Amino acid sequence: MQLVSQRIRRLGLVVLLCTVLSSAASVAQTVVYTVNYPLAYFAERIGGETVSVRFPAPAHVDPAFWMPDLEIIAAYQAADVILLNGAGYARWVGQASLPRRKLVDTSRSFRDAYLPGEEIAGHQHGPAGAHTHGLIAFTTWLDPQQAIAQARSIEVALAMHNAADAPALARRADALVADLEQLDRDLATAFAEFGEEPLLASHPIYAYLARRYGLDLRSFSWEPDLEPGEAGWQALDVLLAETPVSWMLWEATPLDSIGKKLAARGVGVLVYKIVGNRPASGEFLSVMRANVEMLVHAVGRATPLSRIGSRTAPSFSDSKSEGVSRAGREIAALP
Amino acid sequence: MIDSFYLAMRYLLFYRVRSLTVVACLVLVAALPIGLDRILEESERQLTARAATTPLLVGSKGSSLDLVLNAVYFGGQTPDPISLAEIERIEETDLAYAIPIHSGSFSGGAPIIGTTIDYFEYRELSLAEGRSFAILGESVLGAGVASRLGLRPGDSLVSSPESVFDLAGAYPLKTSVVGVLEPSGTPDDLAVFVDLKTAWIMQGIGHGHQDLTRVQDPTLVIERDLNRVVASAKVVEYQEITESNRDSFHFHGDQSSYPLSAALVVPKDERAATLLLGRFVDGSLDAQLIRPRAVIGELMETIFRIKDILDLAVAIVGTAAMLALVLVFSLSFRLREQELRSNFEIGASRRTTVRLLAAELVLLTGASAVCVMGVLFGLERFCSAIVRGLFVT
Repeated sequence: MQLVSQRIRRLGLVVLLCTVLSSAASVAQTVVYTVNYPLAYFAERIGGETVSVRFPAPAHVDPAFWMPDLEIIAAYQAADVILLNGAGYARWVGQASLPRRKLVDTSRSFRDAYLPGEEIAGHQHGPAGAHTHGLIAFTTWLDPQQAIAQARSIEVALAMHNAADAPALARRADALVADLEQLDRDLATAFAEFGEEPLLASHPIYAYLARRYGLDLRSFSWEPDLEPGEAGWQALDVLLAETPVSWMLWEATPLDSIGKKLAARGVGVLVYKIVGNRPASGEFLSVMRANVEMLVHAVGRATPLSRIGSRTAPSFSDSKSEGVSRAGREIAALP
Repeated sequence: MIDSFYLAMRYLLFYRVRSLTVVACLVLVAALPIGLDRILEESERQLTARAATTPLLVGSKGSSLDLVLNAVYFGGQTPDPISLAEIERIEETDLAYAIPIHSGSFSGGAPIIGTTIDYFEYRELSLAEGRSFAILGESVLGAGVASRLGLRPGDSLVSSPESVFDLAGAYPLKTSVVGVLEPSGTPDDLAVFVDLKTAWIMQGIGHGHQDLTRVQDPTLVIERDLNRVVASAKVVEYQEITESNRDSFHFHGDQSSYPLSAALVVPKDERAATLLLGRFVDGSLDAQLIRPRAVIGELMETIFRIKDILDLAVAIVGTAAMLALVLVFSLSFRLREQELRSNFEIGASRRTTVRLLAAELVLLTGASAVCVMGVLFGLERFCSAIVRGLFVT
């Protein structure tokens, strides 16, 4: 009887020890903070259960212009890894104090290939003073090859933090890269159907997309929920008089009045979501897949392209979850 | 024997001034070299400990001692700057990470050190009050600075440039105190810490002003076209970073060219350190990479060579003091000849007289020994604080 109770006691201790060890192992995740959703998605795909990815920007803001409060900045400071997009994305990073050794500029490997972004006037002090430039285009992930480079950068960063997990990280990164390569091929096929016809863009956020697929893209600075005004329409008319254009890319569905006026000018609306923030439904690749489908249908091809592990098809009517108006950006920037 | 000691003690107490003078002389001669040795040993320990926790340091070419004194001990002259590109180059090797150090501004006599929050983690500095800096315009104080200036979180302090002649460069910048560090007994107690970007703003590299694309006053703008606005010198730059103007702060030029005083370089391991040092050994780069411990070690060797000379001088002086004491005693016995004859005449034997004199010497020596032990015990107990007080405060 005594022997039995001793054995039960020993068994109990072993079970307790195993529980403690396994819970300790599951708690030791690498805490990763990112400045936008694509990086969060890549980190989740690559890191799997070994990472806890946090992207704390509210769903209704544009992360590029969001200013986190002090509590959130403190959370970033305490992270194990902080993934930056680079190319000047997330202006708040330049005003915050983040631990340098934890920062990972995921687009550093192709920083020589950055493109100019929105044209804003720079300034300088005195005729000979150093000057500021307009913005750099920061939607780097829209070029799948650049997205792959960013994903690889994340893989390296996570592997440096947890060398033992490197083989598993590499496997998951390879799977993500394969999906992005497929996306690249599908987008190339879809855009090829547009031929050499110029496209319009409501906002200068598609620069990398245009470069990747050789698009002749003319950009405006219009917002989906704001009438561009007489000057805006006049500028469009001048352009259309020189160069007939059939399509205009938008980051979100524009106002009905804008759509109608564009239709009256023979310009169709293509809602190409950039997925800077978390979508209301689906995830990064499913939304990109939906972008591909939208392009295909726009030129009347019904042949379905390959699927890339999408879980749910995004809803095209769910247009307000992505792309934020200027008003929204201003609201996001308020403390 | 006891009666001899009793009489000797009564004699010494009667002539207490003379006795105390002799004891003081003996204490000084004995305690001075030992005390000096102990203080130098503690100084070496503290200086070396600080240098030992800084594996490598990168800075401009020139005096490595000046570089270490400024970047590690926050003293001495501000060295010539290196650019941020230097530490980016080091980080790209994946052999180490770097913690930038920017000095050159002061506030209330305390050096303002621009760095990143990695510095606090690396130096194992914890907060006594408040929090670490999180955004531009915030500062964290060392315990000594906070105590001396009477500041705590919620207060503010204003920077001033190192040189009052730098009229065209740095403007005073008002920062908000958000935290105070725990005392560490290191030069960190006497410094003010700000984010590196805040330090650059203090230096005048970054600044904030009204949006020049929207100004109405024509005297603020020299030239304007679609892509560029050339501002005149009349544009007023903000001297405090607040919630309302923080967004206006910006930098001109390429950030890789911005200046640093130095950077702490923390290699992954000793092999990585050796590889990094190898890259700098041929002198072709614009900076030097040094081991602060080696630099301080050389300094200590020089100090201890001087100390050897001082020891010799103290020994000579001590010997001279002992000889003088011997002379004083012998003269004293001469002067007491009448007294000693009186002892003989009242029946004290020569041996008794010798015992009396010996007892006086023993008591004087014993009292001196006790005083020396007391001094050395006190020095041992407070040596660390004394050295910190001499070098840190």
